[in-house]
Amino acid sequence: MSVIEIQNITKDYGKGRGVFDVSFAVERGEVVGFLGPNGAGKTTAIRQLMGFIRPDRGRAEVLGMDCFAQRDQVQARLGYLPGEIAFMEDMTGTAFIRFIAQMKGMGDLTRARQLMEFLELDGRGRIRRMSKGMKQKIGLVIAFMQDPDVLVLDEPTSGLDPLMQGKFVQLISRAKKAGKTVLMSSHMFEEVEQTCDRVVIIKEGRVIAAEEMQHLRQSRTKVFLIDFATAAEAERFCAGGAGRQLDGCRVVLRTSGRADALIKELAGYTVTELATRTQSLEELFMHYYGRGSK
Amino acid sequence: MTGPLFKREARANYKLVLLFMGILTVYGALIVAMYDPELGKSLQMMAESMPELFSAFQMQSPGNTLLEFVGNYLYGFILIVIPLLFIVLMASRLVARYIDRGSMAYLLATPHKRRSIIATQGVFMALGTLLLVVYVTVLVLFCGGAMFDEQLDVGRFLLLNAGLYGLLLFMAGLCFLSVCCFDQTKLSCGLGAGSCIAFILLQMLSQVGDKMDWLKYLTPLTLFDAGGLIAGESGAVAGFLVLYALGTLLFLAGGAIFCRRDLPL
Repeated sequence: MSVIEIQNITKDYGKGRGVFDVSFAVERGEVVGFLGPNGAGKTTAIRQLMGFIRPDRGRAEVLGMDCFAQRDQVQARLGYLPGEIAFMEDMTGTAFIRFIAQMKGMGDLTRARQLMEFLELDGRGRIRRMSKGMKQKIGLVIAFMQDPDVLVLDEPTSGLDPLMQGKFVQLISRAKKAGKTVLMSSHMFEEVEQTCDRVVIIKEGRVIAAEEMQHLRQSRTKVFLIDFATAAEAERFCAGGAGRQLDGCRVVLRTSGRADALIKELAGYTVTELATRTQSLEELFMHYYGRGSK
Repeated sequence: MTGPLFKREARANYKLVLLFMGILTVYGALIVAMYDPELGKSLQMMAESMPELFSAFQMQSPGNTLLEFVGNYLYGFILIVIPLLFIVLMASRLVARYIDRGSMAYLLATPHKRRSIIATQGVFMALGTLLLVVYVTVLVLFCGGAMFDEQLDVGRFLLLNAGLYGLLLFMAGLCFLSVCCFDQTKLSCGLGAGSCIAFILLQMLSQVGDKMDWLKYLTPLTLFDAGGLIAGESGAVAGFLVLYALGTLLFLAGGAIFCRRDLPL
């Protein structure tokens, strides 16, 4: 039995907004990325998992329990990070964490304290005066502090600096090692790439792909930006193969192959700068549509 | 009911309760101090010279006793409007704001039923209002005792306050139902507060003259009959018992709707 199971849920908000016939499952110990551009329906699907809204059709289940009817029992086993930060602004960070811990019936705050230390969170100030990054850390502490079996994280790294994003990746891999089941939504491929086993891609309320990360990584086109010492060298390199685009001394190379051959070829040139650009989510979608039509 | 949530609300709102107690102290003490057994007659003359204005604010007869005096001047308008303001603020702070801003998501992401979360907020609102009424009761009894020799009929006075709480419970229920139904603070608080204010205005209009008298059947405020309670009329008691029943029903309806609806979190 899957830990998270979404079967044919539809929630129609009109004007094409909402989710339509969405189905996917997350198995025990799996980390799944829920990927899609803004407004694609990621949060709408997650709200149904949390029991905030009832699907028009279909079923959402966590650990075999209905997400709307048995939401209180689901919540006992689940850690949730909302996509929008909305705390009780009049409290201090620490007081809010303590309050939610009491609401969750947790007597022991050791884990919350460890998490605050790990994320370098100073919770003494009023939440009202906190930066977005600090608030996001509070949200993460609350989601992880009860050591839940299931984690549902909506845009978990928004507002975090690169250092903290790294720490978040560590948190996820620890949770994975401990056998937790994680579903996290994102509109950034990079954060999903580092943490997830599998991705579910949603667009305009419909699931357009569900892929193993490994497979996705291999099939994804990489973009290399190579600067040569002279324009002549750049031209010579450009003539050497397909998918190469000349721009003065720079060549833009798109390839889905391995980097090894490229490195060996470049050994015969004077390269002043080599950069890779990560393919954006939109480009990834194009890639998917492109492959679908072949 | 959820203990930690109740405690958090108490901590977040006690200042507001104290502020309202302060306002009520000023008005309550002031009105009681204005009572003068001799002045009754001259006020009566003033009321007769401009009956419409006096009766709109439920001050048609200033009364011959302290009980009748406070019944007219405090329980006719001031003690309805000030607690109503408190009720509207509480409905906004306890429910509307959490739904509109989204912090309700954190409350619901805990192993509690929606029923027990919303019941906590409803009970907190009803108890907060009760606290104000009890405070006013004690305050008026104390001020009356300290300022005048005249003995206030305590039994009737308590009955009057029980009636007042019935009316406030009804208005609180109306505001609660409204904040449970709608997403946006503007709409959810506006509708509850707006209908309460409309009821008050209807009552004021109905008292202006005989032609407008029929308006009293359109406002539930008629069920709180301060004069009748002071006189110990059983009809007045029945009236406020209806208010208690309606108020409780409105709270229950609000809670039931909150449990079933989609929340914009």
